[in-house]
Amino acid sequence: MYAILKPDETRSDGERMSDKPINKGPHDMGGEPAGAIDTTDHGMKFWEKQANALRSTLGAKKIVRLDELRRAAEDLGELYYKLAYFERTTMALRTMLLEKGVITEPELHAKMDEVRARFDVPQAASKPVQKSGHR
Amino acid sequence: MSSQSSFDHYAGRAHAQDHDHRHDHAAPAADDEGPPSEYEVMSRAMQELLEEKGLITAEEIRRRMETFEEDFPYRGSRVIARAWADPEFKKRLLQDGKAACAEMGVDLEAERLIAVENTPEVHNVIVCTLCSCYPRALLGMPPTWYKSSNYRSRVVYEPRAVLKEFGTVLPDSVTVRVHDSNADMRYVVIPMRPAGTDGWSEEALTKLATRDTLVGVTVPRA
Amino acid sequence: MKFGASATASPSTYTPAPNHRFNVGDRVVVKRSFPPGHRRTPYYIRGKRGVIERICGAFPNPEELAYGFDGQPRRVLYRVRFPQRHVWQQYDGPARDVIEMEIYEHWLEPASDQAGGE
Repeated sequence: MYAILKPDETRSDGERMSDKPINKGPHDMGGEPAGAIDTTDHGMKFWEKQANALRSTLGAKKIVRLDELRRAAEDLGELYYKLAYFERTTMALRTMLLEKGVITEPELHAKMDEVRARFDVPQAASKPVQKSGHR
Repeated sequence: MSSQSSFDHYAGRAHAQDHDHRHDHAAPAADDEGPPSEYEVMSRAMQELLEEKGLITAEEIRRRMETFEEDFPYRGSRVIARAWADPEFKKRLLQDGKAACAEMGVDLEAERLIAVENTPEVHNVIVCTLCSCYPRALLGMPPTWYKSSNYRSRVVYEPRAVLKEFGTVLPDSVTVRVHDSNADMRYVVIPMRPAGTDGWSEEALTKLATRDTLVGVTVPRA
Repeated sequence: MKFGASATASPSTYTPAPNHRFNVGDRVVVKRSFPPGHRRTPYYIRGKRGVIERICGAFPNPEELAYGFDGQPRRVLYRVRFPQRHVWQQYDGPARDVIEMEIYEHWLEPASDQAGGE
């Protein structure tokens, strides 16, 4: 389908040359080998429906553009494969709101602490938990 | 044509409607399990910050959730049922998807719709390999399989094998036409009207035009 | 083979594209180019030959919108039809099977008159 550009080799500085097709984003997956499809629709959790409504409302108000959100998701790199769909869209929205200066990191951290406390969730480490889900 | 159809969650949705009316959209659902994940926390935090900054209101979010839950998912089958019942409408739907939907009071908002028609010679199936573009204002939210890596990766290069996983077997005499919804258009399949439905009302036809048939992974049966 | 739907109509959602370079039925090839950044041309279709199925209109360039630019001037968007056997070396289905997608004009070149696919 597309050529492997360079064999896997080790440079003198010890770093391996990537054999990934050049500039192929993690989202660009048409044609990739993959497994059987889980043909059941597992629906959406409440928070996912709310996240979807949030994204839709922000788009309608032109606070973020769909193209920007797509790009931010594509830029997740290896994390793209590890996150479920709404986890990716949440991270993408976070990126765009920060980029546009709508929110700041400290604000977001503080609010997340507040939300966690409300749900009686133990304060988490600074890195979001990575969990696998329906990818 | 299909030997057996797999479970179509969309068909079960109509029965869930009553339950959803009692939903408190301000609080987590009783059936959501466990403490919120970090991403749920992040999403709620962003929403609340945006509300505090006056950029959105909780009411707007609530109403949008309601539209996605109670309105969008039911539109597509009505439109397709009309296309089955009214050949002139079907022609208009094929010519200009958005305008035809507007005739029925279905406002597709910013989405640009292209309807593609199944015939005895041609079967259509839709995917968005790059993300999960989907005609949400016509069909509601996409099913989890549509958003999955396995579907997005494989349906473009082995559509017939993928269709088999959904219970749809197509002979080689039928051409498969895959649509990768990769830019600004959105797609809906007009399946062939099932045999044995002569004289059926539009309302009865609506029940056959299930979501999975409008994406093209299954075919409707009476 | 006719796949239905007039490709010469101008539906309400198709914006005007008066200066379109290609016409319905033109044979085109997708540029074999792999630039970085947000692109809506899937990797698997780069360098493949197809036929213009319809002109969708002219839209702000999503490759620029993705980074906060205004995406002007608008770029013409086409639907292009590709025989599956020309896209995938190992395609297992009938020769008539096709895949179709939207490709922006700046990703397309006229196909040469050389016979054969990729």
